Amino acid sequence: MPASSPLDILSATPLFAVGLTLAAFLLGNLAFKRLKKPTWLPAILMAALLLAATLAVIGLPYERYREDARWLTILLGPATVALGMPLYQQLPHIRVLWRPITICLPIAASLAACYAVMIAWLLGSPPLILASLAAKSVTAPIAIGITEQIGGSVALLLGALLVTGVATAAFTGIAARLLKIEDERIIGFALGLNGHAIGTVRAFEIGPTAGAFASLGMSLTGIFTALLLPLAWRLIGVGG
Amino acid sequence: MPALVGFLWLISYWLIGEVVVHFTGLPVSSGVVGMLLLSITLALHGRVPGSIAAAAQPLIALLAMLIMPGVVGVFFILDELAGQWPAILCALVVGTLLSVTTTLWLLKRLMESQHAR
Repeated sequence: MPASSPLDILSATPLFAVGLTLAAFLLGNLAFKRLKKPTWLPAILMAALLLAATLAVIGLPYERYREDARWLTILLGPATVALGMPLYQQLPHIRVLWRPITICLPIAASLAACYAVMIAWLLGSPPLILASLAAKSVTAPIAIGITEQIGGSVALLLGALLVTGVATAAFTGIAARLLKIEDERIIGFALGLNGHAIGTVRAFEIGPTAGAFASLGMSLTGIFTALLLPLAWRLIGVGG
Repeated sequence: MPALVGFLWLISYWLIGEVVVHFTGLPVSSGVVGMLLLSITLALHGRVPGSIAAAAQPLIALLAMLIMPGVVGVFFILDELAGQWPAILCALVVGTLLSVTTTLWLLKRLMESQHAR
């Protein structure tokens, strides 16, 4: 009988997967700071690349890793509930602009999902992909719940979130200049509504007002989409 | 210890969400129901108790780490979805460009009409 390899000994406990995740996350953040925080390469993408490379090199199957990392991901539940706190803190901003926001939000949040799903559908993507892209503008913890509800792939969704966030951070400044918009509240709201957490980080770089409106846009889009998208999906019957 | 009290609150709201979703059959995740119930409770209470803030702030700061095991998964489905990627990327990039422009334009128009009153 061959002696068990170091990998077998280490991966016998879920703490190995947890440790790998923490290490990759911290290193990704360190690299992000060293590179002077590039918008096009978010810290989480660097950390994920590092972690994927590590898993491939040491030969730990992804399924096995994900199973053990459940010790961490179980915290997503209470972390999603925790988002209720910043949501409550955004309420004063809603009071100031409740009229434009209550009209803009449902239209813009629906279009954020519809544009991408329509384009993918026109290009012939199968239902699984459509379901994975629909929540692309929603903040990750909420988007994961939505995607599980409508039967998409969570891995693809999370990839879509990264691309969407980076694209939003890149386009919003340019589009605002073309439309001659200087109001930080509008730019911030658009960043949060379309680009979830990545857009919100970009908004805080512009200024605290933009950041506050981005948080507001992100929270409201998350709730609106979570409440209506699974229902709409069922009605339209996209999934078959 | 306040953080632990807050954490217990967050877990309780999530569990309430789980029960609500089970009995109503709402197509919403337990986390979203718990989040809405928490913000309603805070609004009724009028402020954020220290214990909730002590648990919520670190958890929110760690969100990026909590989704990492899922994000890594995308590298392991690259082959599975081979041939689909051009359509996926096109949908995401063009879709985002369109929706960013729509949001900016729409909110600008709506705010102008509010000021015009």
